[in-house]
Amino acid sequence: MSDIKTKKRKTWKNPLAVWGAKGGNYEVPTPEWKNPHQIWKDTKAFKVPTTKIGRFHYEYKSSNHGEKIWNRLRWWPTRRTILWTQGVYNRKSLKPEKIRKDKRPIFWFLSLLALAIMPFILPDGYKNSLLTAGGIFGIYASINLCWTLVIGTAGIFSLATYAIVGMSAFLTTWLSINLGLPWWMLPMIGMFVGLAFGVIIALPALRLDGFYYGLLTLGLNELCRVFITTSHAFGAASGGLYGADTFINDNWAPMAQTLVQYYSGFALLIAALFLFRFVDGKRLGRILKLAPEKKEAFAEASGVNYKRARVTVFLISSIALGFIGGFYAAYYRGSAFDIFSFHTVIMGLAMITIGGIGRADGAVAGTLIIVVLDRVLVELGPYRYIIIGLIMMFTILFLKNGLFGIRKQFRDWRDKKKGEARSSRLERGGEMLPEQATEIDNKDEIYRKRYDKMQREFLKTLICDEIIEEHKQKPLGQHSEALERVCYYFRRGAMNDKYVVKCEVPFKKYKIMALSGVRGRSPRLVEDKIYDTVEAAYHGLFLRRIQDLMEA
Amino acid sequence: MSNILEIKGLSAGYGPLRVIHDLDLIIQSGERVGIVGLNGHGKTTLFYAIAGLTHWQRGSIKISGKEIGRTRSQGPGRYTHIVVKEGLAIMPQGDEIFHGLTVEEHLDSGAFTPESWKNRKQKREEILEIFEPLKKLIHTPVGRLSGGERRMVSIGRGMMSEAKLYMADEPTLGLAPKIGKGVLEALLKIDLKDSAMIIAEQNVALLEGKVDRIIGMHAGKLKGEASSSLSMGLKN
Amino acid sequence: MNDIIFLIINGITVASIYGLIAVAVSITWSALGLLNLSYGFIFSFAGYGAWLAERHIYGEPVFVMFMGIAAGVVGGIMVCLLVFIPVHDKPNFTIRGMIGTLAVSLIGGQILLQNFGPKAKLLPEFFGYGKIKILDVTLTADKIGIICSSILMLTIVVRWMKSSRRGLEIRAMMMNPHAASIVGIGVRKTGIYVMAVTGAMTGLSAALLSQTYYLSPFSGLTPMIKGVSIALMGGLGSVKGAVIAAIILGFNEALTTKFLGGRYVLMTQFALIIIVLIIRPRGIAGILDKAREA
Repeated sequence: MSDIKTKKRKTWKNPLAVWGAKGGNYEVPTPEWKNPHQIWKDTKAFKVPTTKIGRFHYEYKSSNHGEKIWNRLRWWPTRRTILWTQGVYNRKSLKPEKIRKDKRPIFWFLSLLALAIMPFILPDGYKNSLLTAGGIFGIYASINLCWTLVIGTAGIFSLATYAIVGMSAFLTTWLSINLGLPWWMLPMIGMFVGLAFGVIIALPALRLDGFYYGLLTLGLNELCRVFITTSHAFGAASGGLYGADTFINDNWAPMAQTLVQYYSGFALLIAALFLFRFVDGKRLGRILKLAPEKKEAFAEASGVNYKRARVTVFLISSIALGFIGGFYAAYYRGSAFDIFSFHTVIMGLAMITIGGIGRADGAVAGTLIIVVLDRVLVELGPYRYIIIGLIMMFTILFLKNGLFGIRKQFRDWRDKKKGEARSSRLERGGEMLPEQATEIDNKDEIYRKRYDKMQREFLKTLICDEIIEEHKQKPLGQHSEALERVCYYFRRGAMNDKYVVKCEVPFKKYKIMALSGVRGRSPRLVEDKIYDTVEAAYHGLFLRRIQDLMEA
Repeated sequence: MSNILEIKGLSAGYGPLRVIHDLDLIIQSGERVGIVGLNGHGKTTLFYAIAGLTHWQRGSIKISGKEIGRTRSQGPGRYTHIVVKEGLAIMPQGDEIFHGLTVEEHLDSGAFTPESWKNRKQKREEILEIFEPLKKLIHTPVGRLSGGERRMVSIGRGMMSEAKLYMADEPTLGLAPKIGKGVLEALLKIDLKDSAMIIAEQNVALLEGKVDRIIGMHAGKLKGEASSSLSMGLKN
Repeated sequence: MNDIIFLIINGITVASIYGLIAVAVSITWSALGLLNLSYGFIFSFAGYGAWLAERHIYGEPVFVMFMGIAAGVVGGIMVCLLVFIPVHDKPNFTIRGMIGTLAVSLIGGQILLQNFGPKAKLLPEFFGYGKIKILDVTLTADKIGIICSSILMLTIVVRWMKSSRRGLEIRAMMMNPHAASIVGIGVRKTGIYVMAVTGAMTGLSAALLSQTYYLSPFSGLTPMIKGVSIALMGGLGSVKGAVIAAIILGFNEALTTKFLGGRYVLMTQFALIIIVLIIRPRGIAGILDKAREA
């Protein structure tokens, strides 16, 4: 072991030895030379993998036609440009490029297009069952969009959504049977039913907050179920009420019937999406976004009449739900009692939570997942409910706001990790963080600290027994390069707390003191140890400084 | 003389925000330390970091040599009860009280550590000696008390347990000067024996001359006789 | 007259069973901030626990009842471990917790259905078939037993919460969870206690109700919804309010059945609840003490 060390050890020859090297060593062992620039290079090196141009290298940039980077094509008659397009110049090539800042319209268009052409691309064997499920998906997705308006936009935690749909469906069916109403009247009447129920249900919402209301509406749901199932008018015995007029003609071919069902569901979904867009994205939605949960008082104080907006949104979505109820009756020729069951509420909640509460894409995607599990994979039997339950558990355990909240959740997590990592990089006396740097007036100081830290890091690698031994032999005079670097650094140190040798009795007693660094304030004694010679005192001082260097 | 609290390189914050920057602090037994600083400079966060209530923190925190600081990035308050069992009594800022409990129950709730639960009656008597006005109100729900009385209850709750470290966060905040002084005096009356106490205050004048040392807190860092010189003095 | 007294006693019997669940819902909400909608599942779970005990271990009524309570405790702790402990310190806890309990009840109900089938099961009569006649009113042993055992359970729970250290912990958590953690109360540990106690109450109500009616994988649903309504009317977080509300709703049920017919019970009940809630948004007990901020 020691052999290797001695082999690696180099010797330093005093260049002044030829002339006698007065006061210095002639030849001493010294550590291997280290490049003082290396630490500078290492610190400066940018360790994060970078891409050639820009930070979001994954962002697709389409090239531009001509020299312009802007685009004035608008959706008539609005002032809205088609897609949110931003023109930029490529930072390297300086060519004009376009970035689509909001790609959601593209995804929406593609997925709706896929739904629209679905009947033509499905394999024949599954076509019937899948299209039936598709029609159900359209209806449920529309209901869930309206529900999202209530829970997300209006912030009213109502669980009576399916109750409104169900009541509307039952009443319109009953009217259709008893008065012989045509099918196109059913959604219209359903709207009035929905409005009436919306008014009744909205009344307590004005007084109750949050979950009190949720529980109350859960009870209302049960009330509707018991009322409908026990009343003779609604066919208590048969498990549902059927016989309403429908837009699907029995004389058509079965496939034509299915297609009409599918496309009517699809049209309903599109209508619901437009409703969502025009309520959530326009004035009402913005008013409600100004009054988020727990900040209502502030919004009210700022002159936002959020209560009225809430009730308006609630009533609008109730009307829409009534419409869907009438449509449901015309679609199925009636309705089953199942729509009021607790199971339906759980399924509906699963649909909107899996996707993410308060988002249109979340509601639609969640509905798609659940409908596929519930209606398409029927052969799984009761296991599919267990799977749905597990998906729900997964969502609430690991996701902040459903599947479509993953993006934001990931970014929050990344920000947090960044903050932590940044805090861990800080060492005492080392580089400063941006927030610390703002407190320092002299910006040179920030740079000096950075340099100082790097230098100390380098000098720490030089400290070894050899240079200490060398210094012990001759504290003054020409030293080897390593020792010379260390000594220069020490000599250059700031005046406060700088060690000095004090002569008590010349040639007999020396002590080590530390300067105060302040004019007029006397130095303080560092230790009581008395050195016999000035060289010993120099060396003691040197050791003390090395200790400070290694500790800092 | 032993170190009750030993903080080394503590950073803490909320989300991307960093409130405490690489902070060192040593507090010895029998010491009464005042931490003075303006709003938003991290006094409360320091206390919360010791109790493990911040969103994330890193660095070492030792209470009588036992490490309670951990590099955490989740779940504020998840380990607080364990930290409190190590001998921490926090008298929090503001209205952190249980509205429906009576004064008596409220004081008992400060003595959740098994040892102090046993002799809670005796301890309660002692505290009522210090806070005379509470004697009459012993069966009143805390929600009905005035601000000063609430603060007394809150501080009394902190004094119920046999803690090693008492931390009072702005005990005079929002109180009338006279009442505030009374509350502070009561705090100073606590017989520390082997334990230590930190009082955070905005008003230096209230603490001057009454505590063993005063540390300034500015922008998440301690200024003044914080620790570095002290710790060096101890090492040699 | 006799009829009315008979109906009122019926109402009180039902109210005492649902009252247990209502108090359980109430305590869970206010102590943990968890809207536990899985009491329906815990109810069925406890019922099947009692049924299995009666079938395979020992048929003594008291033993079966205790097994029901024990199964309820197990169910409560299960829900706590699955939902409360992982989610309690995450954002949007209330809504996530509620959906989590719904998911548990969905999965649990299906598993019960798989194992026991949809056929209804019946527990033995715990209190025998004795009858007492007081002032022309016949009281069956069954009803007296139900009322007494639920009152006993409630009293034990209330006494325990009032006087013991754990009870103080739970009440402190109910009032100010943040301050509770500062005082040194472990949220998760207390959560397990709370869920165990409320699970025991649900278990008892399951045992009591399953002997009069029947037991099926989803039979817990109606009691839970009734319990939730009672808790709502009493004011979430108040045991006193829940008891008062249970009695009022019990009377309402009896009187409505007598004068309007059984169909209208739920309607009058909800009309009553809505009226109370519109007058006092925090329920009957909203005035008694400050409930937890929703």
